[in-house]
Order: sequence, then structure tokens, then C-alpha cells
Amino acid sequence: MPLWLDLLIRVAAVLAGFLVLPLVVGQAEHKVMAHMQGRVGPMYAGAFHGWAQLIADGVKFVQKEDITPHDADRTVFRLAPIVALFPYLVVVMTIPIGPGLVAQSLDIGLFLVLAVLGIGVVAVLMSAWASANKYSLLGGVRGAAQLLGYELPLVLAAASVAMAAGTLSLPGIVEAWQPWWLIWQAPAGLVFFIAGLAEIRRPPFDMPIADSELVFGYMTEYTGLRFAFFLLAEYVGIVVIAALTTVLFLGGWHGPMEDQLGWLWTLLKIGALSFVIIWLRVTFPRMREDQLQRLCWLVLVPVALAQLVLTVAVKALT
Amino acid sequence: MSENGERMMPGKGLLDGLAVTLKTLTRRAGTQQYPDVQPDLPPRSRGVIALSEENCTVCMLCARECPDWCIYIDSHKEEVVVPGAARARQRNVLDRFDIDFSLCMYCGICIEVCPFDALHWTPEFEYAETDVLDLLHDKNRLGEWMRTVPPPPAHDVLGEPSKEEATAARKAAGPGAATAAKTARPAAVRTTPGTPAAPAPPPTPVTPPEPRPSAEEPGPEAGR
Amino acid sequence: MTVADVLLLALGAVAVGAGFLVVTSAHLVRSGLYLVVSLGAIAGLYLVLGAELVAWVQILVYVGAVVVLLLFAVMLTRAPIGPSPDLDRPAVPAVLVGGGAGLGLAALFADAFRWVRYPAPEPGTAERVGEQIFGAWVLPFEVLSILLLSALVGAIVLSRPDIGARTPAVAEEHEAVAEQNKAVAEEHGQEV
Repeated sequence: MPLWLDLLIRVAAVLAGFLVLPLVVGQAEHKVMAHMQGRVGPMYAGAFHGWAQLIADGVKFVQKEDITPHDADRTVFRLAPIVALFPYLVVVMTIPIGPGLVAQSLDIGLFLVLAVLGIGVVAVLMSAWASANKYSLLGGVRGAAQLLGYELPLVLAAASVAMAAGTLSLPGIVEAWQPWWLIWQAPAGLVFFIAGLAEIRRPPFDMPIADSELVFGYMTEYTGLRFAFFLLAEYVGIVVIAALTTVLFLGGWHGPMEDQLGWLWTLLKIGALSFVIIWLRVTFPRMREDQLQRLCWLVLVPVALAQLVLTVAVKALT
Repeated sequence: MSENGERMMPGKGLLDGLAVTLKTLTRRAGTQQYPDVQPDLPPRSRGVIALSEENCTVCMLCARECPDWCIYIDSHKEEVVVPGAARARQRNVLDRFDIDFSLCMYCGICIEVCPFDALHWTPEFEYAETDVLDLLHDKNRLGEWMRTVPPPPAHDVLGEPSKEEATAARKAAGPGAATAAKTARPAAVRTTPGTPAAPAPPPTPVTPPEPRPSAEEPGPEAGR
Repeated sequence: MTVADVLLLALGAVAVGAGFLVVTSAHLVRSGLYLVVSLGAIAGLYLVLGAELVAWVQILVYVGAVVVLLLFAVMLTRAPIGPSPDLDRPAVPAVLVGGGAGLGLAALFADAFRWVRYPAPEPGTAERVGEQIFGAWVLPFEVLSILLLSALVGAIVLSRPDIGARTPAVAEEHEAVAEQNKAVAEEHGQEV
């Protein structure tokens, strides 16, 4: 296979996953959330149980007027949604789906993922400040405090599993994974998942958006396609956090018949975790700002540090 | 915190919440597919008010009791010559009977005060208009709603007997038994033969769907 | 000229240009965002040079740092949109100091290494960096970590006045309040 064809296939696969998986998750959220609340959700678009609702939403977003507020910093305002979306595209490239099935295998993929996810904070601050709206700014400052705080337990939990596997490469971590790690690394997995939820600002950690008090936080002034970009970033975020938790803590493609069906196992685990993310959103109310920071600094960080000690101890003993 | 089992396990509340949402997920949704399927409304739904023009005597009670003053009534008097009578009788003729549903607050007072059952609730609710002025329904439109008035619900088996039934039972039992008949259950009352107010008493006392259209109207002989 | 050379030059130009904009821009928050671009370009330089780990650490650490900087810029000012000349300072001394130091260092480097050729080192993988840090350079690494830890503890202590004894400022305040009370009491006494 020539190099360019190989490259083309990889890019096409990543783009397809990048565009399709968030839509699937979004539609699942529509329906699961509706049924958890005793409703049926969208029923008309696409004739069968509203399967085409998000496509219709996309068409609607494209048609909407693209408004930039008069006092806004136009360049920064328009750049922010792209900055929000771009890191996730990079992260999706490095996630291994099956044995050898990865768009870009890197020696230190874990570091890349954590570093690039951190760029999301800049997008939040950019959109918040450039909107020239006090609600946006409040949301952005809350978001920055939350994202900076929760990055610490996220990185520490990921460091624990990297130490256990002895490598920073994502496929390498999956290969080194053993079933008993489910217990050994369980605290780190929980911390990673919760901190990941906070990183993508999903309820119950959606204090920066908090539509009941801040209108829509840093996204208040966005309309049309730019707003759709932010929404897409949120749903790609769900996929990315679910995929990273799968790869790091749930053993990725490991399962019965993993040579042939490895990719299916990964996708199944990602789907199950995405369901849990939606489930948590439906069940729990939004956390107050002080509770949010308290959970991060007084619970997650100590647990992650204790897990590091545990990992070192077990690693040294075996 | 407390030792009497209120917060025994930390995080139990969180798990309970998750269980509730998961349980709801497995149940059928309560959504009614309204535009596709007509909703299943309870029998006493307050949709719109219907007018049975023949019953109206233009007593104006409804218009006066209406808290919103949204009933407009015009009438004139007509003389009806009755053969054999000493002089001609006067009769009220209804010219206009409008209800402005943009003002109506669906309290139902007009229906309750109407002495001759000219006004009825009907469960029809699809009469939205694009112009608020079109919500003023005239007597023809109000009369059309009569088709949709459901039959009155059966008498509550456990409720008090109606005044007509009680009076009839008292009369049938003769003097001295009045208090006993008043407090008797309707099932017991209905077994007495020849009650004038209840038409065609059923053979078995417990048959809920029993349309008795005239039972709610207090007759002059009801013993006020 | 190889691809790596072109990339190095381009990223260097981006880094220097964005850095120039950081110091010249009158837009307060924008100059912070230019700093993100500049530091990102430097991370790209590391990447081209084969130091993957350093590149990603650069992004991980410095983007977070810049966000804190942006937060300070937003919270300590009115977060103005558009240029804010009232927050500017005369540029001449800064140009003299900064430009002089930069040019001097550049001249020094060019002079020192111009005619020397070094073999390209192995790529800076995580493994190699780890071996170096925890092998040859373990003492400086640990000393640095103790320095950072003490800075962290110091920051916490300074930001929480409820830790430790009463500070002189609080004591003075108490005395002032006591004196005021005394004066008020005397006044009352005169009136009575």
C-alpha cells in the first residue's frame, strides 16, 4: 500500500469516527434521557423513533444566522469554537480501537492526550472573554477554575496506570493490561472517569454552563454553526473520555475472541461508558461551585495520590 | 451521621438515585402521542362550554355569576297566545349568547348556577384560533359543542342518595321512617319499588354505567 | 535544506512573531493568547528536534500556566475588549533591556557554536529522558522538586492568614480599634 493511500484511509477513518460516534452518542442521549424521565424523546425526524433528529438539528444550525456581538473581539470570538474542537480531533487519532488498529501510534500517546486535552481551557477562556458578556465571563472563569483543578487528578490517575504498565503508549498500556487490574486500578479508574466528566463539563459538573444562573455560560453569545461546534465538542468529549477510560482502565480490546472482535469490544466498552455518562447526567443535580472544588481537592486528588502509592507498592512487590 | 440507619453507607443516596432513573428507563413512557392519537381525557375534563339553547330561559344567572364577565346575553320578550287562556303568556327569546373564551378562566361557575342545565362541560379542546377575536363563540357555535357533551357519569355507589330518591323513599316508607331513609345507602333505596325520580331501576344494585340525565336537576317537588 | 530545516525556520518565525506581538499588543487578553501561540510554536520546535516528551510537557505545563496568567489579566483588570493604552508603559526601557539581552545572547551563541559541529543526539523519548533524570541528574532533580514544594507550601501559608500566629498588621488594627473605643468612651464621659 502506498504511503498516501494509507494516510488517506487513516484520516478518513478518524474523520468518520469523529463525526459519527458523537452523533450516535447524542442520539442515545436524547432517547435514554427521555425514557429515564418517562418521556419518549424525538419521534418524528427520520420516521422511525426520530433517528435523524441530530441530522435535522445540524441542518437547522447551518441555516441559522451567524451573529457576532457588536462589542465582541471578533477574531477571538470566531476562533474559539475551532480551538475547542481541534484538540479532540487530535486525541481521537491516538486512541487504539483494536490490536494494531490505531490511526497514529505514538511512543508517548498518553502524554499527548493529556497535554492536548488541556488546550480546551484556552477555548473556554477565549469564548468567555471575547463574548463581551458578563455571564459568559463568569462561566469562563468558573470553567477555568474547574478545568485547571480537575486536570490534576486526571493526570495523576493516568500516571498510576502508566506506572503499572511501564509505558506511556496507549496500545502498550492495553497490551500490558491484566484483568486483575480492574481491582488494583479501580480507584484510579474512578478518579479518572469523574475528573474526565468535569473536564468535558458534563452535568453534574456543568457549573461553567449552568443554564439556570448563567444563561448558557461561555456559549451564551454563540449561534448557528459555531454553537454547533461547541455542542459537537461536548459530544466528542464524551466519546473521548469514555474511550480513554476504556483504553486505560477497562482493558481496551481485551475480551473473548479478541483477535477478531477486539474492535467490537472496544466500541462496546466505549458505548457502555457513554451510557453511564448520560445516566449520571440524568440522575444528579448540578454541583455547587464550592462542592465542585471540594470534591476535586479533598477527595479526588488524595485518592489519586494514594493510588499512586498503592501502584508503586504492588509494582515493587511483584 | 446518625446511628439509626439514616446515613449508614456514604453514597447510598447516589446509588438510589441511579436506581430510580434506571428503573424508569425500563418502564413504558407515559407520553400520549397527541396529534397522532387522540388523548384519553378523564370524563370531567373542562375543554369548552356547550349551550343547549332550548333549555335557556334567559335568567341571566350565568352572566351575573361569571367572575370574568365573559358571557354576553341579549334577549327580547315575545307574547305567546295560548288558546283558552285569559291573556297571552310572555316568553323570553334568546337573541345572543356569546362566551368569550379569551377571557374565560374555566371556573365552571356558570354551569353550576344554571338552573335548567343549559350549559355543559365538554372535553373538546381543539378550538385554538390564530386571531384572539375568533375565540368569541356565539350561540350557534356553542350549540354545536352539544354534540360532544358526554353522558353524565353514573351515580357514585358510595355517595349520598339524591334528594329525589331520598324523598321518594321517605314517602314510600310512610311517616316516621324519614331519618332512616335519609341516611340509607342508595343501593338500599333503589330496591324500593316505584321511585319516581330514578327511571327504570336496574335489577342488580351494582351497575355503574347508569345514565340518569334528569337526576341532577332538582325538581320542584324535591322538598326544599 | 531539509523539511526539518524549513519547519524549524517556520516555527521559529511563528514563535518570535507571536512573542513580539505579546509585548507590543495593547490588547490585554490577546497578548496572553499570543503567548499561547508562541509557546505552542516552541513545543513544535521541540517536536521537530525529536524531543517528543519535552514538547508535550511544554504544552501540558505552559498552557495551564498561560491560563492562570489570563485569569489574572481578566480578574485584575476590567477585562477590556479592544486596546487599553492606560495599562501600557513606556516601551523604550523595555526594548533596551529585552532587545539588548536577546541580541547579546544570540550573538554569544552564534559566536560560540558557529564553527562547531555536533552529531545529532538520539531522539528524546520518555525512556531516555527518564533514565537521564533519574540517573545522572537525580540530585538536581530532587533539589528542584524540594524547591517547588517549599514554594507551594509558602504560597499556601501566605494565602491563608488563619494559619499561624497573629500577624503584626492584625495586631495594629486591634490596637487602633481599642484606641478608638477609648476615645469614644471619653467623649461620652464628657457629655455625661
